[in-house]
Amino acid sequence: MKVGFIGLGKMGQGMTRRILGGSHDLIVYNRTKEKAADLAAAGARVATSIADACSGRDVVITMVADDTAVKEVTLGTGGVRDSLAPGAIHLCMGTHSVSAIQTLAKAHDEAKQKMVCAPVLGRPDAAAAGQLGIVAAGPSDAVKQCEPLFQVLGRRTFEAGATQEGAAAIKLSNNFVLGAAIEAMAEAFSLVRKYGVMPQVLFDVMTDALFAAPAYKIYGKIMVDESYDKAGFMTLQGLKDLNLVLAAADQARVPMPSANNVRDRLLGAIAHGDGEKDWAVMAREQNRASGLEK
Amino acid sequence: MNVGFIGLGRMGSGMAGRILEGGHDLVVYDVVPQATAKAAAAGARVASSLLDLSAGRDVVITMLAEDAAVHDVAFGKGGLCDSLPPGAIHLAMGTYGIGTIRALAAAHAAAGQTLVAAPVLGRPDLAASGQLGIVSGGADEAVRRCEPLFTIIGRLRFHAGTEPEAASAIKLANNLVLGCAIQAMGEAFSLVRKYGVMPQVFYDVMTDGLFSAPAYKVYGKIIVDESYDRAGSTIALNLKDANLILAAGDIARVPLPSGNTFRDRLLGAIAHGDANKDVAALALEQARASGLAS
Repeated sequence: MKVGFIGLGKMGQGMTRRILGGSHDLIVYNRTKEKAADLAAAGARVATSIADACSGRDVVITMVADDTAVKEVTLGTGGVRDSLAPGAIHLCMGTHSVSAIQTLAKAHDEAKQKMVCAPVLGRPDAAAAGQLGIVAAGPSDAVKQCEPLFQVLGRRTFEAGATQEGAAAIKLSNNFVLGAAIEAMAEAFSLVRKYGVMPQVLFDVMTDALFAAPAYKIYGKIMVDESYDKAGFMTLQGLKDLNLVLAAADQARVPMPSANNVRDRLLGAIAHGDGEKDWAVMAREQNRASGLEK
Repeated sequence: MNVGFIGLGRMGSGMAGRILEGGHDLVVYDVVPQATAKAAAAGARVASSLLDLSAGRDVVITMLAEDAAVHDVAFGKGGLCDSLPPGAIHLAMGTYGIGTIRALAAAHAAAGQTLVAAPVLGRPDLAASGQLGIVSGGADEAVRRCEPLFTIIGRLRFHAGTEPEAASAIKLANNLVLGCAIQAMGEAFSLVRKYGVMPQVFYDVMTDGLFSAPAYKVYGKIIVDESYDRAGSTIALNLKDANLILAAGDIARVPLPSGNTFRDRLLGAIAHGDANKDVAALALEQARASGLAS
């Protein structure tokens, strides 16, 4: 398959190597050129522009950090919409708002191109190993065409339906459920600490049965160890995602009191200088609110 | 060991059965006389009063549904404080509030008796098979004396500390984490439904990785199937717990925004007639709040 790839961050680096490993014809583009150098050595052609990355491609993947970037790359002059051939697919794999996805889907539709929204679940190591979870939504024929790519990128693909924004809603909701779990753990740990309990004991109770899952084991352990400096996912990124969740909720008219709690806690953590810490640092902010630390 | 057991509900009768199988001398008591029939058939002596039950016992276990019930049993005329021999242990295994545990600890100490709190984790089937999780709190020597009972009732024991209330705090905190997880799932399912996603797809995404644990698999499935009528733990029972959780927060001065959200949603569910539905019906109440259900 002839594939274009835009956005060579930590996730994009791993994903492009998987695509090359799958023997597809790959051309890559990144705003900062240096990030493409290693890939060129691995056999990818480096595009000089977005138009160059889209020319003659069956599928162009975008894996960029936020809504602003994906809109600029897609809708800007000489962007994906201007450059992609009719019938070709924009496979949008970043985590974006439902409104951005709606906007892009409409633009591609008008340009007679197809769009598939397929945000991924997993960290950079999972991307490099082709072990991502992929949530795909879009017209079924277009999703089917992307299948060979999903096979090299992911461990499992979840088909979310024909409407692209559905996949974005799932990804955001999953991130929200994680944020809510972290907030609940933060509240629980501060409560037991006030009753003289060692945090490790609650961790053991919690993760033994009902919550024997990575979300609780990973983030609970960070809280027990108070190892907030090694950020896997930063408080500021958490805030970005919760804002996207609440925007989706606003648009769809879904009151989400727990999501508001998570967002407020993240804001408090950032106000206290913990924006760059792992978002498990919500526990420290909850401790501050409880008078357990300054 | 000479053991007394008060409260032969679904949990209590399973636990009493294990104690008999363990070869202990068991006397049982319940305000509902029929509840003792099963234990009597298995070899327990049925006490005619609390006074009768307490005579000569090393340990008396209470497994009651509410704080008011344990108050009656302990502080009523002829109750445990009046009737337990000096040096004997009241092993409180129900889920009781911090205020109640403190009152019991003080009254037993004044009467020369000892309180050990040991709330359990698990459903009636696990009680019957001796597979409960047990969280113990109390003086080391007293907890050690209860060890032979813990071994036959439970699969795993967690020691919370030397204060009985520490065990209560852990049990309540664990219930808080579960309540918040169900509430968050409710919000997430409402959100994705508004974007045209089949609930099963979101369930698959959620339980595949980060949340591959019983809390999400069991309650998530009830939400997907909308099978709220086969209640495991009811909305009404959870309101009781939520109130105990918030009271614990109040006593210790711990703001619990997610706990408050959980409680408010439970109240709304009860206001809509769902008191006896499964606690997963929080998702139904959330769907109502979102205009998805009536």
